[in-house]
Amino acid sequence: MSIHPDQTQPDASAASRPARPAPRSSSAIDLAIRYGFLALLLGLVIFFSVFANGFAGPRSAVFIFQSVAITGILALGVTCTLVVGGFDLSIGSVATSSMMLSAYMMVVLEQSAFVAIIACLAMGAFIGLINGLLIVKTKIPDLLATLGMMFLLVGLQRIPTEGRSIAVGMTLPDGSTAEGAFSPLFLSLGRHRFDFMLENLLPAPVIFLIVIGILVWGFLELTRHGRLMYAIGSNERAASLTGTNVNNYKIMAYMISGVLASVGGMLLAARLGRGDIASGTNLLLDAVAAALIGFAVLGAAKPNAFGTAMGALFVGILLQGLTMMNAPYYTQDFIKGFVLVLALIFTFSLSARKAGSH
Amino acid sequence: MKLIRRKALALFAGLAAAAALPLGAIAQAQDMPAPLDNPGDVKIALVRYLSTGDFFQAYLSGVEAQSKALGVDLRVFDSRQDAALQADMVDQAIALGVDGIIIQHGLTESMKEAAQRAVDAGIKVVAFDVNVENDAIPQIEQSDYLLGKLALEQAIADNGTEWKAGYVYVPGIAPLDRRHVAWEEVKEANPGIVEAAQMGTLDNPIANSNANQARSVLQANPDISVFFAPYDEFAKGVKIAVDEAGLSQDVKIYSADVSTADISAMREPDSAWAATVATNPAVVGEVSVRALAIMLTGGDPGAQVVVPPTLITQDFLNENDIKNMEDLSANMPQFAHADVAMTEWMPLPPR
Repeated sequence: MSIHPDQTQPDASAASRPARPAPRSSSAIDLAIRYGFLALLLGLVIFFSVFANGFAGPRSAVFIFQSVAITGILALGVTCTLVVGGFDLSIGSVATSSMMLSAYMMVVLEQSAFVAIIACLAMGAFIGLINGLLIVKTKIPDLLATLGMMFLLVGLQRIPTEGRSIAVGMTLPDGSTAEGAFSPLFLSLGRHRFDFMLENLLPAPVIFLIVIGILVWGFLELTRHGRLMYAIGSNERAASLTGTNVNNYKIMAYMISGVLASVGGMLLAARLGRGDIASGTNLLLDAVAAALIGFAVLGAAKPNAFGTAMGALFVGILLQGLTMMNAPYYTQDFIKGFVLVLALIFTFSLSARKAGSH
Repeated sequence: MKLIRRKALALFAGLAAAAALPLGAIAQAQDMPAPLDNPGDVKIALVRYLSTGDFFQAYLSGVEAQSKALGVDLRVFDSRQDAALQADMVDQAIALGVDGIIIQHGLTESMKEAAQRAVDAGIKVVAFDVNVENDAIPQIEQSDYLLGKLALEQAIADNGTEWKAGYVYVPGIAPLDRRHVAWEEVKEANPGIVEAAQMGTLDNPIANSNANQARSVLQANPDISVFFAPYDEFAKGVKIAVDEAGLSQDVKIYSADVSTADISAMREPDSAWAATVATNPAVVGEVSVRALAIMLTGGDPGAQVVVPPTLITQDFLNENDIKNMEDLSANMPQFAHADVAMTEWMPLPPR
């Protein structure tokens, strides 16, 4: 499956090429495509700063970042799979499984934070590997393979505790009490705040988001591997004919996605201080929405890390701003959907017109 | 002398009976009226709508414990918030030939007819926290209205009658709607209590989603001093936001429901979570099974079986050094056992 709107351009380097000089008549459209979404983002910030009490200021900026940090990290993983023309539906459940696993390692098995982190990362990579193998070796379509993995994980995460959420001092299935506790080091991953301009301003998950965002962006845009992945997404056969090991890159994309999802799950566990049974569906949908909105940023019309980060931020600003203005909860899904549709219009219809005008 | 000896004998017999109780579930089975005199052949089904969260886990454990004490064969059907599937599961249970069904939560519209089909098939049915509009089906209830009311009375006792409040509410969820009634009444009776903001979502993980919202609400309304979050997952979320905003000294949270995780959150140093009101979900589970057992033996538990709630304050937890639900049950007898849906022959789960 591929949802790249620029299927017609097999040239992989089209992505990094500077914009071609456009004829005068379409320059307005070009501008709208390139900067429309960022302008909308700026407009939103100004709107909420004026109308939402307490919106303007570093503290709200930070908690908006915090509210999107986890979905943002997941979305960056999805972006990597979208780049190779795939899709990972299992990220939400990988994240919640990783949340359960980290809690299980520390609370039930009484392991250190380090062991828990390694176990979660290994699980994420392993699930990504399985996803990738299912897709490239057994030729199961990506949506179906990762859908199956999603259900599998939703069930698997409940088996060790027989469906119980994991909290310090919980009663285990055999009737005894769990003796372990979350290590303070692990909790600080989700709760520590760094001094930045103001004291205790920047929460650790935001740092994770920014660092991971830069890494994924650098990997996709600046390295040969990243460009080859875009090439696979554009035209798998052509990439393969030029000697690219398509299968390896695809598996790698799913492994990146799995590892990033497990990082998101650990941050969630650290913030909540417990392992919550959850399907992760909301995490999946929010992450996918952010990645798809990202298509529209700077007129990229393709998955890209910067766009994904902006997409996540856009949703975060909207939701937090609306909450501050006392908008009821059901408007939030509506708004998310509306923004997504708008972004898809930007991406598909406007960039198709751009392509047509040349 | 004779009298004393008789008394001593009775005491001894009582002690022996008490000691035998945990082991004696099978020994007692013969004393239970039919069909429970042969409990291994009695099948009951628990058909669930909600199952995620500490409350529902504890409820299930209560159902399991009481079923085990009775010796009956329990089947659990879990529809995981799929209303149509839950109705199908009732039909499945009918096909399985169960003797009794406990319907746990659900929607009136989807469960009304399924419940009627079960009654028509001669199956005894009780419903917990869902109104299936059927006279043959007793309602098991934790009094959600009282839950909200007691929490708010404590909030007024702690903070007086002049404060700005944040309120967490998602309409359309029956228990939350009933708790909402208490909030409306308190606002009506105390014009000094102002609802500065209302928020709430059931997006899962619920605590995380509500933490994000509460953070915004606190930023927009820094003068909020009391949060009424009448569901513990809501309260957890609000507490995370209060901690992150560094306001744990300035905001007090009042909630409903309790779990081991909630207890540790309430007992953190400077915790904003001041009090919660709860019925022990495990006890509600036990009461559900007992009510069904009474019906199976031809008795009548009454149209409504209400399990009374208990107020649990942070101070009480700290004074008694309560760490988990077991400690809480040990220190609060009214929390460990509710004397409703009881008969002389009813075996109780070991404590």
